[in-house]
Amino acid sequence: MGKAGGGLTNDIRTLRAHHGEMTQQQLADLIGVTRQTVNAIEGNKYSPSLEVAFRIARVFKVPMEQVFQYD
Amino acid sequence: MGLSFHEKSLWLMLVSLLAVFGFYFAVALPSAQVMGANVLPNQVGLFAAAIVVLVVMQVVGHVVIALVDRRTATDERDRLIELKGTRNASYVLASGVFFALCTALLVPGNFAFTHVLLGSWVAAQLVEIASQLYLQRRGA
Repeated sequence: MGKAGGGLTNDIRTLRAHHGEMTQQQLADLIGVTRQTVNAIEGNKYSPSLEVAFRIARVFKVPMEQVFQYD
Repeated sequence: MGLSFHEKSLWLMLVSLLAVFGFYFAVALPSAQVMGANVLPNQVGLFAAAIVVLVVMQVVGHVVIALVDRRTATDERDRLIELKGTRNASYVLASGVFFALCTALLVPGNFAFTHVLLGSWVAAQLVEIASQLYLQRRGA
């Protein structure tokens, strides 16, 4: 949890687009964070806690590694 | 990118602190050179008035912000940013307390000591708020 490291990336933007053009605010409401936090996660400026990461994967009904990648 | 409730609240606190204590120090510091080295009753009254104005500004401001933006909840990132801001402020406050103690030893009267201490607290608050505003924009 904190500032995203160099290797952590994510596909949240693509997953939102594939789920009916879900907005950042809609995703934020579903996982219990602010829209600004979703924006920071998408921009790789903030690494979410495991709990929030699991909630994101659950919203999109995909495994965690399909949402987040660590190179 | 729009401002969250938390960011609006931080801007309100920053502006109100700068306005109130900017005015207080602008009035109190020049008068100290004329009236001597101790805090006078009218300066205590000025300080009390500044605190009242600060509280009123922040309460009214937060009510207005909450009416405009109903999303007042904070999350894990906000809490992390708050902790980092508080850590930065603690360095400033600790340094300020040290300088205030040096002032108490070196400068006669209580005016300089109390105002170095008050200035340190205000500076620590400003650093805390500025740190949070920076981290809100640049990640945590």
